[in-house]
Amino acid sequence: MSSRRIVRFSSSSRIVTEGMWRPELPSRRALLKYGLTVVVVCMGLAVALLLERYNFTGVADPLFLFAIALTVWFAGPGPGLLAVVLSAMALNYFFIEPIYSLAVRPAEFPHFVIFIVFALLISRFVKSRDELTKEVAERTQQASLLGLTHDSIFVRDMSDVITYWNRGAQELYGLRPEEALGKHADRLLQTVSSMPLDEIRAELLRTGRWEGELDNKRADGTPVAVSSRWSLQRDARGRPVAILCTNNDITDRKRRDRDIRTLNENLEKRTSQLQASNQELEAFAYSVSHDLRAPLRHMVGYTELLQKGASSGLDQKNRRYMTMILESAKRMGDLIDDLLAFSRIGRAEARKTLFSLEQLVTDTVRETQPETVGRNIAWTLGTFPDVYADRSMLRVALMNLLLNAVKFTRTREHAEIEMGCVDGKDDETVVFIRDNGVGFDMKYSNKLFGVFQRLHQTEAFEGTGIGLATVQRIIHRHGGRVWAEGAVGTGATFYFSVPRRMEI
Amino acid sequence: MPIFRRILMVEDDPNDVELTLTALAEYNLTNEVVVTRDGEEALDYLYCRGAFATRTTDNPAVMLLDLKLPKVDGLEVLQQVKSDANLRMIPVVVLTSSHEERDLIASYKLGVNAYVVKPVDFHEFVNAIKELGIFWAVINEPPPGSMRSKDVT
Repeated sequence: MSSRRIVRFSSSSRIVTEGMWRPELPSRRALLKYGLTVVVVCMGLAVALLLERYNFTGVADPLFLFAIALTVWFAGPGPGLLAVVLSAMALNYFFIEPIYSLAVRPAEFPHFVIFIVFALLISRFVKSRDELTKEVAERTQQASLLGLTHDSIFVRDMSDVITYWNRGAQELYGLRPEEALGKHADRLLQTVSSMPLDEIRAELLRTGRWEGELDNKRADGTPVAVSSRWSLQRDARGRPVAILCTNNDITDRKRRDRDIRTLNENLEKRTSQLQASNQELEAFAYSVSHDLRAPLRHMVGYTELLQKGASSGLDQKNRRYMTMILESAKRMGDLIDDLLAFSRIGRAEARKTLFSLEQLVTDTVRETQPETVGRNIAWTLGTFPDVYADRSMLRVALMNLLLNAVKFTRTREHAEIEMGCVDGKDDETVVFIRDNGVGFDMKYSNKLFGVFQRLHQTEAFEGTGIGLATVQRIIHRHGGRVWAEGAVGTGATFYFSVPRRMEI
Repeated sequence: MPIFRRILMVEDDPNDVELTLTALAEYNLTNEVVVTRDGEEALDYLYCRGAFATRTTDNPAVMLLDLKLPKVDGLEVLQQVKSDANLRMIPVVVLTSSHEERDLIASYKLGVNAYVVKPVDFHEFVNAIKELGIFWAVINEPPPGSMRSKDVT
């Protein structure tokens, strides 16, 4: 007899690949089972014949039935069927008239049929029991899997008494199943909810589920916040019988939320403080712009009037004093203007657009012309990409760098100024401005970009010391870097970078 | 001899007043300059109120307006002038120390006719005042209803 592997069908009647129809040779295990069946039936026959020899009658039927039951129990339905057939034949041959014949007399017919039916019934019952055992095993396994999950799961009946308590629940609340089962859930866990428990119950009965946040207490009294999901179980008649509760610990998450909120509040506070100090700074700059320049203007104005009115009566020395007053006032005016421009860059909103850096460089070089009259300057301009930046700010930065180069090459008979882009950078555009001017000592390079920092004496090269600080501020506003290389007497190279990607 | 028209100057700083008048004097433009020292006084003049109740009602040919003024500041004066049907046509030149962008924007939004930052350098200052005076008091044809000096004298 060949056995076939059982084919499992999924709910959509799709054949599961591992269960393809495939005839198989009877395995050794099956052969053994059928052999044992024959042996058991033979043993039943032998015992029956032996007992009959000693005049015990009517034992054949129960003995064969016992053999059949035994076979089905241990070997399964196939061998069981074989046992039924063999037992029926043996009974017919040895115990039902006419003896030693397979014929059945009409009078013995009911006996024979009842035997067969009873034998089949036993087989059937044993098979049912097998299926039940299997199902119970499966369910038990499922239940123990549920018990293994880290999620806290428990079941409460309709009077809120806990009837199931898994490992997750034990770990979350610190209560063993024997401590939790049979207890009133909300009293045991000291449930506190922003929504009245009655309303939760009402929603559960209406929709079959409820979801929300609850506050519980652990066995040791520490509070725990849980995100809770309730599902209602109904029996076959639709009556609610139990509630499955899945609780997840969100204490940490809530604490983090709270921390984030606190941080945000602090940040907002800091931002408003910054805004306030920014406004103060703006008011200060405004006041400087207005009030500091006015007296200066008056000084210059009256000195000039004095010069005009009295210069004929003054000697050389005193006329020089007058000139010094005017020059100093003029210089202070320049300082104030530069400082204001510098502070304005810090305060102004950067309005970034995509524009041609090449065009801007060309324009800016042309704008330096008033400063280069009478000079012999060889300009070398490379190619430049489009950049995403605040055009007017970048113009100021370029102008400062170019005027710097023009200024510090003044002592050269043949000045050379080169501008270009450094290759090989994907994420930023690096621009350089190289000159063959007086250069600077690299050990002071950190001072180059400081406000009011100057590396040359005022008599040699005029300036307020704010130009490069302004350049740095502009480039930093764009998220770029600025640096310089140079050596005394051989010239300087200034670099700045602007990020290439467009900010969102 | 060119025709001088009346200039209304609104300036709180006496030094600025003196220097401006000096600058104008160099070009003989001072005979028709009215000086008011704050925004309120300027408005009094324009509306012929208070100390100016008895003046003739013609408008000045130009108003030189400082922004930072006591009581009523320059921008408020400008707003008042530009929102008044009778005064709207007076050309207003803001003459200030401030080249803050927000002052520029605010002034132009209110309809200023010119915006001049007072240079620190006195020569430049004198030139600026001279050019302003010559342009507005001599070259520019003011709107009808403005006072001409020859009408007064």
